[in-house]
Amino acid sequence: MTRWILRRLVLSLITLWLLATIVFVIANVLPNDVGRTILGPFAPQATVDALNERLGTNDPLLEQYVRAMRNLVTLDFGNSFQSRQPVLPLILGAIGRSGILAAFALLLTIPVAIAAGLYAARRRDRRADRAIVLLGVTLSSIPEFVVGTFLVVVVGVQLRWFPVTARAPEGADPVTILSHLFMPALAMALVYFGYIARMTRAGTVEVLESDYIRTATMKGLTTGQTMRRHVLRNALVPTVAVIGVQIGYLFGGIIGVERIFNYNGMGQVMLFAAQRKDIPVLQAGAIVVGIVYMLATLTSDLIIAWMNPRARLATGR
Amino acid sequence: MDYSRLDRVRKSATPLELDLVESYARGRITRRQFIKRAMVIGLSVPTVSAVIAACGPGAASPAATAGGSASTAPAASGSAEASASSAASGGSIKVALQRPAAALDPIAMQDLGAYGMLATSFEFLATLEPSGLDIAPGLAESWTPNADGSVWTFKLRPNVKWQKDGKPFTADDVVATMGRLVEAGNSGLKGVIDEKSTKAVDPTTVEFSLLGPNGNFPYLVSVFNAQTVITPVDYASGTTLDQMPDGTGAWKLDSYDQATGAKFSRNPDWWGGKTPLDSIEYVWFDATGPMVTAYQGGQVDAIVQFDILSGEPLLTDANTDVIATRAATHRQIWMRTDTGQFKDKRVRQALALTFDREAMIQQLFKGKADLGNDHVIAPIYAYFDPSVPQRTRDIEKAKALLAEAGTPNVKAVLHAGQVLEIADLAVLIQSNAKEAGFDLEVAVESLDTFYGAQWCPAEPKDPPCSGAAELGIVDYGHRATPDVYLNSALKTKGVWNSSQYSSPAFDAAFTEFQAAVGVEQQRAACTKIETVLLEDTPIGVPYFYNYFSGSSKKYKGLYSSALGQMFFSAASQV
Repeated sequence: MTRWILRRLVLSLITLWLLATIVFVIANVLPNDVGRTILGPFAPQATVDALNERLGTNDPLLEQYVRAMRNLVTLDFGNSFQSRQPVLPLILGAIGRSGILAAFALLLTIPVAIAAGLYAARRRDRRADRAIVLLGVTLSSIPEFVVGTFLVVVVGVQLRWFPVTARAPEGADPVTILSHLFMPALAMALVYFGYIARMTRAGTVEVLESDYIRTATMKGLTTGQTMRRHVLRNALVPTVAVIGVQIGYLFGGIIGVERIFNYNGMGQVMLFAAQRKDIPVLQAGAIVVGIVYMLATLTSDLIIAWMNPRARLATGR
Repeated sequence: MDYSRLDRVRKSATPLELDLVESYARGRITRRQFIKRAMVIGLSVPTVSAVIAACGPGAASPAATAGGSASTAPAASGSAEASASSAASGGSIKVALQRPAAALDPIAMQDLGAYGMLATSFEFLATLEPSGLDIAPGLAESWTPNADGSVWTFKLRPNVKWQKDGKPFTADDVVATMGRLVEAGNSGLKGVIDEKSTKAVDPTTVEFSLLGPNGNFPYLVSVFNAQTVITPVDYASGTTLDQMPDGTGAWKLDSYDQATGAKFSRNPDWWGGKTPLDSIEYVWFDATGPMVTAYQGGQVDAIVQFDILSGEPLLTDANTDVIATRAATHRQIWMRTDTGQFKDKRVRQALALTFDREAMIQQLFKGKADLGNDHVIAPIYAYFDPSVPQRTRDIEKAKALLAEAGTPNVKAVLHAGQVLEIADLAVLIQSNAKEAGFDLEVAVESLDTFYGAQWCPAEPKDPPCSGAAELGIVDYGHRATPDVYLNSALKTKGVWNSSQYSSPAFDAAFTEFQAAVGVEQQRAACTKIETVLLEDTPIGVPYFYNYFSGSSKKYKGLYSSALGQMFFSAASQV
């Protein structure tokens, strides 16, 4: 098991290096005069040249690449081209905010969705199952920004039940912070509800049909015991895998929701940087999101390995 | 008319002042325009009052009239205190501001978010008067030009201190600031002053020897040239507000987070007295839609700027004070004059004749805009000549012109950038023009593509913009004077001249306008400019629209410029 984890970690590092290289290539392949971008279309050419010189964008590509990789190892992403402030605190702040929002959304959706999925599987093809599946498909086909807009207009502005901006005032108590995050988290949770519920349902249906469940039932276990000891562990494997991937996605920022609720998570920060060709911010953002992705999939793989010995065996060699 | 009184003023007036006084005495400009202009050329309040009183019956009491323009500005240190004592003291305000796009560098900043941030701590020689339309004394208490307007002397306010170390603000700070602006090639001051122009006569007197006469100089060192905030002598180029929180203004920067917002607290040593509010918090937004909902949901108290499309509900909201500032913000529908289907001016006139301007203003701005007459002299300018006939919709005439030109069916692509109302305007133009036989195809592109490929492509370089599309719509922001529009978009070989317009008559009129110091000469030049542009129609200008900001009725006393700056020194909770 330790060897397996180590192997995964080494693989992750190689993937990160590849990611950083790809980001570097993209950033440098795009036709872009960095100095011109920063100073705007009307700055004198001499000033632009001087800035390019200072930023080192005129150096040979290989030199720039080595510098970029060295900075990556030391986690020194330099300063934003635009705001001239250090990049790392900006990105860490943003990923922190995205993380809190994603965690809240998952907290809202996972228990309900898994419960609904299990219930639907057990009531397969009956009215409750149909209702849950239909609801899930409907919810996941409405984009989160549409749900978000609806929530803002109705719940926020008209009913005034919850605040319409996701960020609570500084020094607010946890309840206030959660009340600010509630609507954006709900908008995201609703979309993922259908996804996770259907995944759970499909996994459970498959397991329920398997021979070992029939054996378990026939040897006299109660339904509750069968579910706990045999069904859940096997049925939830695909669900955990899906959630692992989704966490990385959610941490990357859900731009629509962030825009509507004016939340400065990764989505807004990255979009803002992309629009202004703020390469250091984009690079750091891509790397940090990449790290989160890797950690999330690694964790979900570990959980799956714990849940399912076969997965452990398959990866343990 | 009280001639003896007027004569006393005439005797002591400089030629420039005399020109203005005569214009008013002969009824060529309104009282409002007279007061505005008097502020610019530095005519003293008693003189303004004397002239208004002398000119006669019906004139409101001089103090009240002049006061509306001049002395209620935060300039008079007594006034902030007076308002402070009458209003509820304390509290704070949360304000939605566009996220600063780049560093808070006073010299290099280019966006409204940064303008708003910098103007909160720093001040201008000439600040904004509360009506939001014109300038008022700021760090300079007064200014006077020499006879031809080529040398301007600014008298600085004494007893002003820098926030950081309490050092006094002096003429040296102004000289250093101007030096940095000239070095950076500030667009407003370029060609107006150079590195040798600014001189400290004594600690409270600065003299500007301009490169040529300029009757509008005070505007160029005012809130309307946002980079001219006065920074301390040691504020080296490239220093940002967050690196060195300083200033002479009413508010001190406490914290700045590029991701979320910024906080300011009262500067207890401000020369203007104690501000009613304790603090200001800016919250960044990247779009106006969420600003408006955040305001409606009660999460912010004021919005520095919103557009009519997303902010319409605020206009009718009983709990909201909407500040609609008339501005020179406009769109230019350029038509290539050198080549292609619009080369014949009758075709250009025909297209402009199809515009249903009133309907555009209603549909796009709910009426909150001024009519445009296919030139860039906006009605808010003192030298706007309203006697030049307004072009109105006339389909028959448009058809006749097209027939005359031998092109009854013009087929063209109308290029537009995806920003604010422009895409909608393009569709309106398309449908308006159709009735006269124009077959326009609307092509809306992202701003980057649009500017780079359609409006002003980098190649070919000479003349500038000669690679521009045949027909397109481009946006122009507010300017306190029309010089930039005239110089860049319309003058022969101007850097943004995408219609490739070249007219000796226009160029001569523009030169005349620039050299004019007195309002009458400026207006005479503008009459020519308006007439030539209306006749040649290198651009269509259907409207000049208002700038909107808004605040909750729980606050009073705040006002804003059309450049992202909001002023809170007299603001208080109700």
